[in-house]
Amino acid sequence: MAAPDFYFAINATFRHLHDVYGKAALIDYWRSLGREYYRSRTDRWKNGDLQTLAVDWQNYFAEEPQAVVDVTVAAHAVEVNITVCPAIKHLRDNHRDIVPYFCEHCDHICGAMADVSGYTFHREGGGGSCRQRFVQLPSGTEEARKC
Amino acid sequence: MLGCQDFCGHYEWTFHYFRSRWGQDALRRLWAEAIGGESQQHYAKVALQAGLRGLYDQYVKTGEEEHCDWTYTLDESKNVLRCDMRECPSKGFLIKNNLNADEDYCDHCQGWELPLTASVGLEIVEHEHNHCGQCWTVYRLKDRSAELVDVAADIRKDERWRCGFIHRWEKDRRLPLLSFVSESSDPCDVLVQWFAANNCITILGDDIDSPGASREPPLHEQTAVLTTDNTYANRERCPVDPVAVLIGHDAANLTALATRFLATSPGRRPLLLHPYLPRMPILDFVSLELPRPIPILPLLIRCGLYVHQPSGANPGPVELLFLLALALQKRISLAGVDIHLHPKVGRLLVKHKKD
Repeated sequence: MAAPDFYFAINATFRHLHDVYGKAALIDYWRSLGREYYRSRTDRWKNGDLQTLAVDWQNYFAEEPQAVVDVTVAAHAVEVNITVCPAIKHLRDNHRDIVPYFCEHCDHICGAMADVSGYTFHREGGGGSCRQRFVQLPSGTEEARKC
Repeated sequence: MLGCQDFCGHYEWTFHYFRSRWGQDALRRLWAEAIGGESQQHYAKVALQAGLRGLYDQYVKTGEEEHCDWTYTLDESKNVLRCDMRECPSKGFLIKNNLNADEDYCDHCQGWELPLTASVGLEIVEHEHNHCGQCWTVYRLKDRSAELVDVAADIRKDERWRCGFIHRWEKDRRLPLLSFVSESSDPCDVLVQWFAANNCITILGDDIDSPGASREPPLHEQTAVLTTDNTYANRERCPVDPVAVLIGHDAANLTALATRFLATSPGRRPLLLHPYLPRMPILDFVSLELPRPIPILPLLIRCGLYVHQPSGANPGPVELLFLLALALQKRISLAGVDIHLHPKVGRLLVKHKKD
């Protein structure tokens, strides 16, 4: 049930959290969501390889209306090139006031998902198109982090 | 990225995030301000422009986008817009994906709709939902009288309406869940009120034959017994009238339970309870003339005693009774229960008679 109007609720929830509880609370919400709600996905990433992560993002964006996204596997990393961000596009098409920190949700949700599954997350760009990279941590790093 | 394909899942998770950090009012504020006030502003706009007709057109559009199995009936001459939802895709997403992070997902619809409709001069005359994906709503322009319409699509004529427990709204107000127990519409309040007079609860299981099963304390008329449907259905195992009975999803003895329940005078009947877990058999209590059981998961979730694990095994009925007694902060004694600490799982497990 990928109804694009749901992006309105996502954008509005970010604004509400930011305006009522502050930026730190919004970041905590994003990171908790990445860690907890997406646990089944990060468990698969943790137990799989780069291809597992790449296929997961390919499948995910395939269900997002109007997304134009290319996912590739590089050496020790998965690159997600987002030419058209479906959320930003739908919000803009419908003249919605997009919160200025909208793109940061990827940094924190994907960052938290990466943290628990042996990757680091990096984003370049934003505002409707960006390049995201999930870089594999050297073997043993994740265990060291847990300690 | 946070997508719209699994929106209902992270929306529900968000409700629990709000409730657990900032309380019930914070979640109501999120629904009213962020969802009703901002996200759904296009509903308010069309309602202001064209009244019930505008709302009808918007809902038809939404229904197509979200693949809703519903019927909207508009009769402007009678000042009525009515919705009958046969299969809510939003609740359906949670059931299909075995998600249950929050206490009450269905509550969110009235949570945003009611402030929105009130702000544009509409009233929700009546609304009911059964927490299983079925609901109905009647709207009117508040400044004119309305004449209720009888519709063929009335969801209450559908056999699925016999399942679940009902929350009801009249004239923009949510009604008590069980008015003879509490004026509150919150199932947690109903449970607290029902057990208020009992400081100690005896959990009565049906494992009277196992060497490991506890037999004390002896049961007598003053004992507040909490038991399962299987035990209650067998009068030899449960000779006293229990204060409450948890009906599990497998409820093999539901007919026997109904026979005993209905033969008991109303003042001595137990409160019927049920977990209403997702992806478990949905039971029809109404056809057996039983009252719809009160849900126990909201209280367990609110107290932090239950976290739904989509890939994990569900707790059994006696384990749920333990959690309920803990949530109610009662002293607990056991009878007919063989309990042990599982060395690998690291939690208390109840040995079931069939094990």
